[in-house]
Amino acid sequence: MRITWRGAELRLLLPVLLLVPFGFAITHIALSGTFEPGPLGIALGYVGLFAGAHLALVAFGHRGDQLVLPAVAILGGFGMIMLNRLPQGLAGTSAFGFELGMAATQLVWFTIGIVAMLVIAVGLRDDGILRHYKYTWAAIGIALLLVTMIFGYEVNGARLWVNLGPVSIQPGELIKIVLVIFIAGYLAETRTLLTSARMRIGFLSIPPLPYFLPMLVLLAIVMLIVVRLNDLGTALLFFGTFLTMLFVATGRRSYVLIGLLLFAGASYVAYQLFGHVQARFNIWIDPFADPLGAGFQPVRALYALGRGGIFGEGLGQGLVTLGGNLTIPFVHTDFIFTAIAEELGLLGGFALLAVVAVLVFRGLRIAALARDDFGGLLAVGLTTSLGIQALIIIAGNTKLIPLTGITLPFVSYGGSSILASFVMIGLLLAVSHRSSIGADTDASS
Amino acid sequence: MIATNVRRLGFYLILAFAVVSGSLVWWQVIEAPGLAVRADNPEVIAARRSLMRGNIFDASGQLLASSEVIDGLSRRTYTDPAFTHVIGYASFRFGSTGIEREFEDLLVGQTDPNPLRDLINDVLARQPQPRDLTLTIDRRLQSFAAEQLGGDAGAVVAIDPRTGAVLAMVSTPTFDATPISGDPATAQGPMDALRNDPAEPLIPRARQGRYVPGSIMKVFTAAAALDADVITPSTTYEDQPRQETEGFVVEGFTIREHDLGGIQPDLWPLSPALQVSSNIFFAHVGLDLGADLFLEYGRRFGFCSAHEIGPPGRALTVAPSYLTAPVDGDCGDFGDDVELASAAFGQGRTQVTPMQMALLAAAIAGDGVMPHPYIVRDVREHAEGDSPSDTVLDRFGSRGGSRVVGTETARETRAAMVDAVNAEMGRLFAGQGDVTLYGISDARSAGKTGTAQLGGEQAPHSWFIGFAPAQEGAEPEIAIAVLVESGGSGSGRAAPIGGQVMAEWLRLSGADGD
Repeated sequence: MRITWRGAELRLLLPVLLLVPFGFAITHIALSGTFEPGPLGIALGYVGLFAGAHLALVAFGHRGDQLVLPAVAILGGFGMIMLNRLPQGLAGTSAFGFELGMAATQLVWFTIGIVAMLVIAVGLRDDGILRHYKYTWAAIGIALLLVTMIFGYEVNGARLWVNLGPVSIQPGELIKIVLVIFIAGYLAETRTLLTSARMRIGFLSIPPLPYFLPMLVLLAIVMLIVVRLNDLGTALLFFGTFLTMLFVATGRRSYVLIGLLLFAGASYVAYQLFGHVQARFNIWIDPFADPLGAGFQPVRALYALGRGGIFGEGLGQGLVTLGGNLTIPFVHTDFIFTAIAEELGLLGGFALLAVVAVLVFRGLRIAALARDDFGGLLAVGLTTSLGIQALIIIAGNTKLIPLTGITLPFVSYGGSSILASFVMIGLLLAVSHRSSIGADTDASS
Repeated sequence: MIATNVRRLGFYLILAFAVVSGSLVWWQVIEAPGLAVRADNPEVIAARRSLMRGNIFDASGQLLASSEVIDGLSRRTYTDPAFTHVIGYASFRFGSTGIEREFEDLLVGQTDPNPLRDLINDVLARQPQPRDLTLTIDRRLQSFAAEQLGGDAGAVVAIDPRTGAVLAMVSTPTFDATPISGDPATAQGPMDALRNDPAEPLIPRARQGRYVPGSIMKVFTAAAALDADVITPSTTYEDQPRQETEGFVVEGFTIREHDLGGIQPDLWPLSPALQVSSNIFFAHVGLDLGADLFLEYGRRFGFCSAHEIGPPGRALTVAPSYLTAPVDGDCGDFGDDVELASAAFGQGRTQVTPMQMALLAAAIAGDGVMPHPYIVRDVREHAEGDSPSDTVLDRFGSRGGSRVVGTETARETRAAMVDAVNAEMGRLFAGQGDVTLYGISDARSAGKTGTAQLGGEQAPHSWFIGFAPAQEGAEPEIAIAVLVESGGSGSGRAAPIGGQVMAEWLRLSGADGD
């Protein structure tokens, strides 16, 4: 096997990995008022992780996309700098006699995530295990949801968390992966049927219902449970991912249109039925109606965006706390983007969005180059899931859509999110690797 | 095959990224200036927290309150707890009280007093200029009065009857307001301790405490009846000597005299009746005056409604004093003649503030004109350091007064009050209010004690009101009200405090060449 040096990846990683310790030092200088870089252990650990991941991919001769890992490193770098700069008491771990602050805990999750990513990217030589056991994956997904429903506990009104000894996990983060695997497997098998068979009602093409049934049943079950868990952001994310995969598999805009109409109808029914949905909606429409009560969090977030302006207040110089209280509650999870846009301004926010876009478009490129439909649909599902999740939470931060409590992948604090996101990157890299191997084989034959 | 659809998806995703980017531009560029000036913007709140506040000085230029900004947080330091109930506190956690509250716009340099919006615009647009305030109170008198009250709960209010300038306004127990006005993170503990203190140190008793007045009300009853020509200084009641021992039956209820201390009852006109503080005499006066006139004169003197120390809008509020059971913040009707007769000698349902009673004394001292009190003398440029700037930006002079009784009435009431302190029988009760006992040789006091019976086993409140110098031809320079909660008889506790504080002021103002 020919050695791949992955030179592009290395060249892109180098500046990123220099900038993260630099960012740590700047925030420390701004916060302490002294001209000292402060402790850089976490930053250097972060650098080491990605350097190690790069070397491991080279060592195993991985031929996958070389822009994905640097993009992830930038997003994670944004997050680590902010998380290190926020009050460390916001989150953290104390287990097995260790006390870890928020940034240190996040670094531990990055370590676990990168190991998982490498194992999948390198180890998943054959996607049969994903493709052939799609109903098993679906069952696992539903089982995870039921576990959450039964054993989960609530944080902020949404029951998302399951306690596993020292750590709490959010099964929802893992469910989206198995759901994508199932849908990719199902659509890869049936897409020809779905595309060719058609029924018409007026100008709309109606999907041939019998072929859709298994998928729709599963989706309905998942959506019902998710709505029952009061996790509206995840519901939106699942549905959006499903629609994009369906669109890519069939090329039918009308399917997407029908899906969106269904979603709008379901949202209207939910608004009529559930008080908390109404409350969320009303806060979204006018958060300033109750700026110290229900609208507190979104209003404070908008103020933070306004403070940032075009150029930002500077790293470490945002108004994170006021009189010992956070200016924005949940700044480390739901509003990490706002915190970044406050300190780095519109330009920093654009930069972050651009990196997400790069990640998304590399993912779509992987999908387009995939050797088979399953790989392509899997890549589309994983990519759009990451991309839509980022867009949903950022749009929630800017009041474009109602706020939902989902994470910004690789940036927000949270172990389940980090782990799930890295698993998705691992799968993407595996698809990418196989297509480049395939391309080589095709070229040499 | 899929690739085409992926490219189309890519196009839609670009649209989505563009829309989200647009929303970011909306808030960070287009809406940002509007957001920056909203009152609930945390940055505006933070700016207010770091606002420099002006100093507060006493009348002689001694520093009472000052601020410094530490770590972006403006912290207030107060030098003298005797002033806490005048100045109040400026806390980010508990809000502001007292002068800190009412004069906040001047202290932080926003002279337009009303709209909060202006304040915030100003805060953001330019560095506000704090202003310093000078009080009318002299710290030496304030501290002296506080010392006289000692550990007792009570109040001393002293007013210059000529101008309405507040010379002293002490409420005890007091507290150090510095910990409350410092770091909000550490303010809760001290505040909780104050709130839970059974002695209720947070109450500014001088203007918010309401007490049964007892016999000091007889000054009001006398002035009202004289002014309404219901009595003259020589009016007597023929049944009064007998009723001193047998009691005065009003509507079946027997009004009894207090312990006269061995004085033989006699047919007393106004002066001796005030000297011995005859309840029987003043019950007759009150009944002759009648409920309507009693309340009408009460309102003239400021009873039955809240008033303010300073011009409206920038003034310390004084709780209303009541002659009857209050109805909607006003005095209600007297229930019966027993209540009216009792109110005439300061019992019944009367409830008064020390400030109101000081104003009553000031009205008699001021020839029947009750001054409008004020407590801030001027506004100056902010001074760094401990001494006030010489640049006076605004002066708050006397606000004048309102005539409540005629000159003749005031003169006759004053003569009776001078006797109440100095004449043979009066000395037995209010003699301790005599300034000559405390080193003043060229002045006499006028005064009246009160012993407010509270019923049950509770010790009565001890009261004294008076003014000096009060001898024929002299112009009084200080009018005073002293209250000692459960201090026993007026003669024992409040009168000596009143005498000493008045003597101290005559000494201080005389030494200043006043």
